[in-house]
Amino acid sequence: MKAVQLHIPAHADQIDLVRICLYGIASKLGFEYEDIEDMKVAVSEACSNAVLHGGHSGEGMIKVTFHHDDQALVIQVHNEGSPFVLEGAGLASTPLGGAAVSELQAGGLGIYLMEALMDKVEVFPTSEGTDVWLTKYRQ
Amino acid sequence: MMKLEPFKIRTEEQGSEYVMYLEGELDLAAVPQLQCALEHVLKRKDIALVLNLRNLTYIDSTGIGVIVSILKTRDGLRAPFYVQEIPAKVKRLFDLTGISGYIKEGAGA
Repeated sequence: MKAVQLHIPAHADQIDLVRICLYGIASKLGFEYEDIEDMKVAVSEACSNAVLHGGHSGEGMIKVTFHHDDQALVIQVHNEGSPFVLEGAGLASTPLGGAAVSELQAGGLGIYLMEALMDKVEVFPTSEGTDVWLTKYRQ
Repeated sequence: MMKLEPFKIRTEEQGSEYVMYLEGELDLAAVPQLQCALEHVLKRKDIALVLNLRNLTYIDSTGIGVIVSILKTRDGLRAPFYVQEIPAKVKRLFDLTGISGYIKEGAGA
């Protein structure tokens, strides 16, 4: 697989750069508009999690690697802060529904959306942080 | 080409409606701006709070989380809250998360 890398400071106001970069790579690979929109949300969710739960105090970096071949685009989001567990990761995180308005919980929506929008989502704790791998197969 | 569209909020009070027009990308970086703009209207019971999303180009779970908190606050106060002109790609995420089932569409405009 070929790889393109982007390093950003772990700040909320840098996440739009990841979307811009994703857009460029996915367009060049010939992904459909809808798939690109789905991947934009999924990669932003992974980056938001890294910013919110990464545990670094403004010094940390997020490393995004776009791996691609003729089968798939695989986006690896590596957070260099302390390891974190995505809320609801690996469990049947469910969307809103069935509850009274007062009982609605926004937590876990991010991981739910990643799973709904990508073909495969994997979360690995590493010695130096957390890796989220997001896979979208080419049609 | 994809343009970087900074998040902007324009507000308009028309009679009994307070309309917030959200423009650009509502992501983690934009959430504080939206929360700040909501502060003085969220609990007003004399108006219907309306979010107009016509020019919203992006939303994710962080923005949807703000809408969930608006829904809960307005519901608790029994104060009206509407969302109008939801773009297709935003609607898709509302449907996927299930928030569509709680949103009242329309009002005025």
